[in-house]
Amino acid sequence: MSNKPTLGIFGFTGCAGCQLALLNCEDQLIDLFEAADIKVFYEAMSNNDDGAEVDIALVEGSINTDKQKEELFHIRKKAKTLVAFGSCASYGCVQAMAYGDGKWEERFRKVYGDVEFAVGKAFEAQPIHKFVKVDATIPGCSPATHQMLTAITKLLNGNLPVYTNAPVCLECKLHENECLLNKGILCLGPLTQGGCTAPCISHNTPCVGCWGIIEEANHSAEIELLIENGYKIEDIIRKFRIFGGSKISEQYTKLWRL
Amino acid sequence: MRVVKFEKKNTEKLFDVLSRFGEVWSPMEKGESYSYQKIEDSNNFIFHEEVTRTILPEKKLLLPQKFPTLKFNSKKYEKPNEEIPTKILFGIHNCGISALNILDEFYTTDFVDADYQQRRNKLIIVGVSCIADEHCFCDKTNTNIVEKGYDIFFADLCNYYLVWIGTSKGDDIIRMGEDMGIFDANIPGDVTNKYAEYRKRNRESYCNDIDLEGSTDLMELSHDAEFWQELGDICLSCGQCTMVCPTCTCYNVIDEIDLNKDTGQRIRYWDSCLFKDFSLTAGDHNFRAARSERLKLWYTHKLKAFIGKFGAPSCVGCGRCIVTCPVDINIKTVAEKLKKKRAL
Repeated sequence: MSNKPTLGIFGFTGCAGCQLALLNCEDQLIDLFEAADIKVFYEAMSNNDDGAEVDIALVEGSINTDKQKEELFHIRKKAKTLVAFGSCASYGCVQAMAYGDGKWEERFRKVYGDVEFAVGKAFEAQPIHKFVKVDATIPGCSPATHQMLTAITKLLNGNLPVYTNAPVCLECKLHENECLLNKGILCLGPLTQGGCTAPCISHNTPCVGCWGIIEEANHSAEIELLIENGYKIEDIIRKFRIFGGSKISEQYTKLWRL
Repeated sequence: MRVVKFEKKNTEKLFDVLSRFGEVWSPMEKGESYSYQKIEDSNNFIFHEEVTRTILPEKKLLLPQKFPTLKFNSKKYEKPNEEIPTKILFGIHNCGISALNILDEFYTTDFVDADYQQRRNKLIIVGVSCIADEHCFCDKTNTNIVEKGYDIFFADLCNYYLVWIGTSKGDDIIRMGEDMGIFDANIPGDVTNKYAEYRKRNRESYCNDIDLEGSTDLMELSHDAEFWQELGDICLSCGQCTMVCPTCTCYNVIDEIDLNKDTGQRIRYWDSCLFKDFSLTAGDHNFRAARSERLKLWYTHKLKAFIGKFGAPSCVGCGRCIVTCPVDINIKTVAEKLKKKRAL
């Protein structure tokens, strides 16, 4: 009988890239397998013990069908600590880019017609916290190696991960990058939760916001700045929406009045 | 104090001399700006005539952006036993030296910050004079000419550099240079005229019309001014101003445990008082939850608060906040608001 904490890694709707990101931590995988008794790892294992009780459940992906919703309830019941693993589970990510616009049914019918689904009745992509209590989040599309492993280590030691509520700009500046906004480029750094270590901007590519919106994001100030720099409001909002998911319509309903 | 003469044609030999004392760090071009980098090749060792406003200031050599401050296991903790190399900071300007003087006071008065002190002890400061650009305002903060804080300082008198020696370590370097024939103790007879011209050239190079007169008192009088809210409304909370400010000192520590081991490390990294969580305390209380409050704190710190403890404001006029803030909240625009606060 092992004293190791038990871990389940589940996946719903998404690209499965978060599980892949974990699987890609090749230098640390042996330590992970030694530190945890892994009962479920959809992408890495066969013979997953779906019914097992686990200390920690990492849940990847958004919830898109009523069947998934039932499975999520089941995972919640069996898990002591439930973690939203990645952006889809946390706030919907790219499949929720039109979240809350009221046109989901219309789009769904246009693509699928009147097909009956074997996977259950479908609905607009929802983050997992819409249905169950979420104890912690590992952000990112897909999560960054260091942040993810630090968080998992904390969880395995019985603690919850703690993140600084700082935007991408912190890590961007620590890498001594020139600010892209000052060059007139549409960069979402100030609006986006940090933790990624700013790899995109360090390679001269603007931030697209894939870690999700930071609590204190000042959208209206950034919109004003971008309009001054010649961007059209529709293009700015579209950019915000790509990774904005459920958060953008929940927290910033005032934006759509613009 | 001893003074010697240096001619620009000996620049490569100077690099050779400095390299014998440690790693040479100097401003290098980065994009459209500059960054302090380790110089490996004498071709990159340059007396820059232009302003080399590096993206990050000198403080990154003393307290790096992110580093382990402690290592621990389940039984004990200790300082990481990494070797701190001697670094020679070449090409630092008057504002930068002034900033390091402020950091020295801040980190070594009352309580000595060991992380700072151990790197500071290994840092040799080789300053070079400069001519201001449109953003510089160190003339307004009285940091345009420094009299302390350097080991060696090169003042450009046009035909040659007048080299001031500030410390015995600086003297060691000069003596080695003299042995190699790159410094000359014979100063030309017209040096006082040349020096007066140099001071005049420096004085006349400033064109930033920032008005800091009375700003310390105006900060006090403007505590409830409406413009703080206006600035809070447009601030992006990106924290760049604090990262690029040469006298900002705030940091955070986090403990990271290694996976499947009983070891870990305490990481120290730059933080910013412009971030909401910075003033978050136990019980979920936040005594500076509003952005405007945090902005006011920062400008109070720069223009006023430091005077009580250390006798001078902590802004050195480098102009970094002016070129960095995407929405133009900086010492200059705040000084303007202070002057016209009733006219808003």
